[in-house]
Amino acid sequence: MLKAAYLNELFKISKKKKIMVAAILSIAAILIGGLIVSSVNNFIGINLTGKSEFSIMVLSVLCYTLIPLFTMFVCVDMFTGELADHTIKQTLTRPVSRLKIFSAKTLAAATFILANLLFVMIVSILVSFVIGATSLSLWKVLLAYIAEFFPLMVFALLVIFISNIMHGTPSAFLISLVLYLAFLAFSAVFGDYDSFFFTSLFDWYTLFLGSYINFYKIFRVLLILIGCGMMFFAAGYYLYDRRDV
Amino acid sequence: MDKAIVIENLTKRYKNNRGISGIHLEVGKGEIFGFLGPNGAGKTTAMKIMTGLMKPDDGDVKINGFSILNQYEQAMANVGCIIEHVTPYPYLTAYENMKMCARYYDNVDEKRIDECLEMTGMLRFKKERIKNYSLGMRQRLGISLAFLSDPAILILDEPLNGLDVEGMVEIRKLILETAEKKGTTFFISSHLIHDVELTCNKVGLIYNGKLLGVDSTEDILKNYSSLENYYLSEVDEVEHA
Repeated sequence: MLKAAYLNELFKISKKKKIMVAAILSIAAILIGGLIVSSVNNFIGINLTGKSEFSIMVLSVLCYTLIPLFTMFVCVDMFTGELADHTIKQTLTRPVSRLKIFSAKTLAAATFILANLLFVMIVSILVSFVIGATSLSLWKVLLAYIAEFFPLMVFALLVIFISNIMHGTPSAFLISLVLYLAFLAFSAVFGDYDSFFFTSLFDWYTLFLGSYINFYKIFRVLLILIGCGMMFFAAGYYLYDRRDV
Repeated sequence: MDKAIVIENLTKRYKNNRGISGIHLEVGKGEIFGFLGPNGAGKTTAMKIMTGLMKPDDGDVKINGFSILNQYEQAMANVGCIIEHVTPYPYLTAYENMKMCARYYDNVDEKRIDECLEMTGMLRFKKERIKNYSLGMRQRLGISLAFLSDPAILILDEPLNGLDVEGMVEIRKLILETAEKKGTTFFISSHLIHDVELTCNKVGLIYNGKLLGVDSTEDILKNYSSLENYYLSEVDEVEHA
């Protein structure tokens, strides 16, 4: 039943126009980035990035902007959206428990984030072939994009939790957005406490990229992310299970 | 007679103090049970709890012997339903909506999807997106979705909503034929009292969240000229008590 629910969630996501818009905006952002880097390299003579650095540069920009935004859209749509327009009844009245439906939706959100990151990585690597050249470290790029999945997934779980509190799609989206911006602002102002605001960990992939890798710090951050993820999953499911439709 | 549905002390109160209170009810296998009551009496609340869309404050519902609260998957394995309005995914086609539901059952293939769409006259619209459907077409699709897994129990909340006269006759015929040929149990709520009289062989009357009585249609019609008269007389009795 979990597999059936998961396949259904993926199918619904694939049929949304927002996915096409997300893909087009991602490509546009990467192309504009490539154009700027290429122009600075060729006309001003400053080498801003190499091939691998370009993909990392794209990630450093998109992981704070478009990717969380698309994640928000998908998660709010999957939960508040279906509850608000009552389409969820079609799923809830089938022989599948709410835990399985909630898990399937969460898995579908995870798949969306992975697919989004993979898509951005591939496009950015292709664009990097066109611009200036240093040695290409594909493994570093891959590692950075895989690492980025974890904080984004925790963020998705936070949005899912909020989506299960709110009753309207616009309010769920707005609260998620305000909370996200507040987290970013707090972590910027109170730098010593930024571990408490997990959105500051969106750039934790840099821990993997240096010549010295601090495994202790990576382990500590990973535990924080897992802890936050488990809390948001449990709280989100608690609300989802108790909700009257 | 074996029990298909057993409702035990079902209670649900809303913040406005309306809802249902202490409902006990049993529906035997193969019966066509009509759930009658005015708007706001608690019909939909009871049916939402029966299908797991709401949690009761007290009581339980057993479907084929399985508790809807503790054994949800087993309880719903052999149930099809329409609750309140039919709300398929509007950005998908009828076929895509059916296909998604079919994934939850082992016995549903492409042929069965087409059969169910044909049964309600929706086969020729199967590739059209739901957002372009009329209310009646959505209702027909909802009935196809409810019948999809060929369930032993069908819980239908206002199944004739939005249908034209021809549609009403077709669906009534479908219910009667299915009950006769397959022994399917129906639990139907409707405000169309004449339709309940023509379709159901057992009737329960709910008023202000309380079950006033349950009787066979045959027995009711022995004492009253029509179900409508029975309904008005029972409600009148409560209001003047």
